[in-house]
Amino acid sequence: MNDDVRREVASFIETIKLPFQDRSTYLETACSGDENLRRKVEALLEAHDRIGNFLEEPPFGPSIE
Amino acid sequence: MKEIDQLPQAEAEPEGLRARSTKIPVARGTLTGYIRQAPRVDNMSDATVMLAAIKAGDSKAADELLVLVYGELRRLAASKLAMEAPGQTLQPTALVHEAWLRLVGDRSSSFKDREHFFRACAEAMRHILIDRARRRQTMRHGGNYQRVDLEDADLVAPALPDDLLDLNEALDKFASEFPAQAELVKLRYFAGLTIEEVSEIMGISISTVKNYWAFARAWLLKEIESEREA
Repeated sequence: MNDDVRREVASFIETIKLPFQDRSTYLETACSGDENLRRKVEALLEAHDRIGNFLEEPPFGPSIE
Repeated sequence: MKEIDQLPQAEAEPEGLRARSTKIPVARGTLTGYIRQAPRVDNMSDATVMLAAIKAGDSKAADELLVLVYGELRRLAASKLAMEAPGQTLQPTALVHEAWLRLVGDRSSSFKDREHFFRACAEAMRHILIDRARRRQTMRHGGNYQRVDLEDADLVAPALPDDLLDLNEALDKFASEFPAQAELVKLRYFAGLTIEEVSEIMGISISTVKNYWAFARAWLLKEIESEREA
């Protein structure tokens, strides 16, 4: 993993462990002025919060038609 | 692979697999036809030999293993679905483990062997599902209403073929940026492996698997949505 990729993964992982209200303070520090990174992670967090059972169902079943 | 070569070639080989090998063990016509004409191959020793070769660094053996696993999984999936009660969902993980027992048996206890095997399974399963989703889409859009054999009707995503194809596209993109996390998705989603199994195979901790999994799901959901909006 290059550094950008590592930071994106790491910031996301650390942030989802935090209570909702602490996230943005943490992100501010973690991204330290890197707006691009911050936007990316925020978009991921938004998706994470409504992930539901996406990809948790097996990809196939019997015919449904 | 000698005996497998004698099988007729299929009309609808998945493109990705065709590029790897021209010796796809898939027969024309119905699946039952395929099972009948398939010679009694000693797949078990083939797989064991290939696993040993992969361990010794033979990259061609990995391709051959993929082809073998692909054929076995397809056969298993179809025969299971033919027997399942309607409405039941086929678990990829059950297929993968049964394929392991049939192709390798319990002779090999090395987890390193399982690693190569499960990676091949994940890849083969992805090809099977994507190929089917493509064919379904073509049938739907092209009005190609010819008789659909069991083989074509059996494996259906509970979601729509479009969803699966979108996921596959997003996954390719994901893999170019996040190869390790994409590998995890293949093992977890397409081969149905548990968090613990993925952890062992990839040599990373269980909590890392969970974290990567959460990251991958969020990333893929977002990517699929933004492609649809575009």
